Amino acid sequence: MSTASYGYDGGDLEKPDQVLTVENLRKEFGALIATEDVSLAAERGSITGLIGPNGAGKSTLFKLISGFYEPDAGSVTLNGTDITGWSPDRIARRGMTRTFQTPRRIEGMTVRENMLVGPQNQAGESILSTMFRPGRVTRDERANLERAADLLELFELDHLADEPATDLSGGQFKLLELARAMMVEPDVLLLDEPVAGVNPALAEDLATYIERLNRERELTIFIIEHDIDFIMELADPIVVLDQGRVLTEGSPETVRTDDRVMEAYLGGGGES
Amino acid sequence: MSLASTGSELADRITREELLIGGATALFLAAVAGAVAGGLLESAFVVSSLAFAPVILLLALGLNVQWGYGGLVNFSVAGFFAVGAYSTAVLTNGSDPHGLALHPAVGLVAAMAVSAALALAIGLPTLRLRADYFAIATLGFAEIVRLIVLNEGWLTNGGLGVFGIPVLFEAGVLSGPAELLNTTPRNVGNVLIGFLAVAVVFLVLRRVQSSPWGRVLRTIRADEDVGQALGKNTYRFKLQAFVLGSVIMGVAGFYFAHYLRAITPGAFEPIQTFYVWVAVILGGSGSNRGAILGGFAVVLILRGTRLVNNPVGAIETLLNAPIDVLDRLLFSVAVDFRLSLGLDLNQDALRLLLIGLLVIAIVRLRPQGLLPPQREHIWPAALGGGGDAPEEDRE
Ligand SMILES: Nc1ncnc2c1ncn2[C@@H]1O[C@H](COP(=O)(O)OP(=O)(O)OP(=O)(O)O)[C@@H](O)[C@H]1O
Ligand SMILES: [Mg+2]
Repeated sequence: MSTASYGYDGGDLEKPDQVLTVENLRKEFGALIATEDVSLAAERGSITGLIGPNGAGKSTLFKLISGFYEPDAGSVTLNGTDITGWSPDRIARRGMTRTFQTPRRIEGMTVRENMLVGPQNQAGESILSTMFRPGRVTRDERANLERAADLLELFELDHLADEPATDLSGGQFKLLELARAMMVEPDVLLLDEPVAGVNPALAEDLATYIERLNRERELTIFIIEHDIDFIMELADPIVVLDQGRVLTEGSPETVRTDDRVMEAYLGGGGES
Repeated sequence: MSLASTGSELADRITREELLIGGATALFLAAVAGAVAGGLLESAFVVSSLAFAPVILLLALGLNVQWGYGGLVNFSVAGFFAVGAYSTAVLTNGSDPHGLALHPAVGLVAAMAVSAALALAIGLPTLRLRADYFAIATLGFAEIVRLIVLNEGWLTNGGLGVFGIPVLFEAGVLSGPAELLNTTPRNVGNVLIGFLAVAVVFLVLRRVQSSPWGRVLRTIRADEDVGQALGKNTYRFKLQAFVLGSVIMGVAGFYFAHYLRAITPGAFEPIQTFYVWVAVILGGSGSNRGAILGGFAVVLILRGTRLVNNPVGAIETLLNAPIDVLDRLLFSVAVDFRLSLGLDLNQDALRLLLIGLLVIAIVRLRPQGLLPPQREHIWPAALGGGGDAPEEDRE
């Protein structure tokens, strides 16, 4: 295999104020090792780019971190808490949520309803409260409606609030997904290809929003993206994944000039 | 509030479908009233059909919580129906094998509690698994209930059934209306109690569906991963929906037992589960109003077929009508054959035939059902703007 010709550096674990730390993560699907000994860390308030050829294991890594897959080995630490093996919802409540590579539309819900699924600990999520504490449910719902309105305005989706989410264009839906994730009020946000299939103008907008959320809310963001220009513009550092392993981590410039990265991409998975 | 819905005017709210269905319903009611007035239909039959209707309506409302809200496939509607019916029957009957003769209120509490406990017992281990395992578990449960009812004679009196179940409401005030309608006070009382139960369940469900709870279930139904990514313990929500729906089915069983006053295992055949599924899908999965409408349609078929004594003959007459006309036009020269279906169709078969046709029609013509859900899953009082919701603001 060509990959043997160059070494794997692994991720940089020596960062200050780590909000997320991943150590020696491993996931096998039968004979396929989709994630192999992956270690990396994210500093609070950073935007980390995750790149790599198709099938490198980027989405699998996200699923492992966010609890959708259980790792075969290794650990994930969020804000100092070991969250390895936790369910996705518990992890979300602890402050880390994700978006999906393929759009997941909730049929039969408007944009506004979609937004309202996000907030945590809503009084009205308990049947008993809807029966016996309607006042609290109303107060919560009002506050959440207001927050949803603000975010929709921020993402310039407010004119679509009453539209069925299924009627949105691909790009608009990506925006909605991001806005909906923000309703969770996360510390860490994992974005799986947020601009895939989005027109350039809207992609530009998305980049602006992501930057703004990062700046204004101290949000730590991980982004998987194939659009190299987009990710190099937005993220620092960049982590390169290849065949389930961390090839290297560095600033956009160092990654751009690293021969191994080009080779990994051209190698198309390194089977040649 | 900037996001508050502006569509508060009545005209905005009523869709074309609602108008059509409302009109059709009104026409149908007028036709029934006309038929009764004209002596074509006995009022006693109409009343007794109405006394039966709450059974199907409640079952449909319960299944709608499970399938319509949360996408849970429960093949054990008849199972929970039987559990509710037998729970109250065993405790309140005044004859063999127990003769406990407890008050029906005790029976109601028992029907709800036992249904809830059994729903928990099935849901706790299976709702974490893939959806098909859960569906299979409910199938198994239905069969277990059937076998217990048949074989545990000490509890259920086996195939003989339980008799002497008390009537829920039979007061002197009912004799007036009963006489007017040419029926028994018991029937009138059942209609009142049955529809009271339907109304209470409907109002409760409408409330929980438009709440954040209903919203989470809608999300789970569409894509459970999204719910989880947004921090919802989807397992807990599914469990709650399953228990709530099953309790409502238990209430249906409770009402059914007291309405019939005697129950036998034959009343809880798996076909009942099928009827209720048809009702929910016909009405529009996820819509409470739809469950009511679909429930009524199923009741109409279940009861209406009783009026047809010779279904094959009736269909043949209908099919031969054009030939008759032709025959007459040709002065009986040319045509001397009549269609014969060569079928022996009894009422049960006709019932199944009609339900089958109905299913095909829904799937082909209107897969979303007659009245699919329309309301947003948003707490209505929160949309009401400033402080014009005094009732909702009380804690
Ligand atoms: N549930 C699964 N079962 C079996 N194999 C899987 C599963 N999920 C992912 N894989 C395999 O693991 C490898 C990594 O997949 P992954 O989706 O993580 O890649 P990716 O880097 O996100 O690729 P892309 O850029 O195409 O989205 C692929 O070979 C894929 O086929
Ligand atoms: Mg991927």
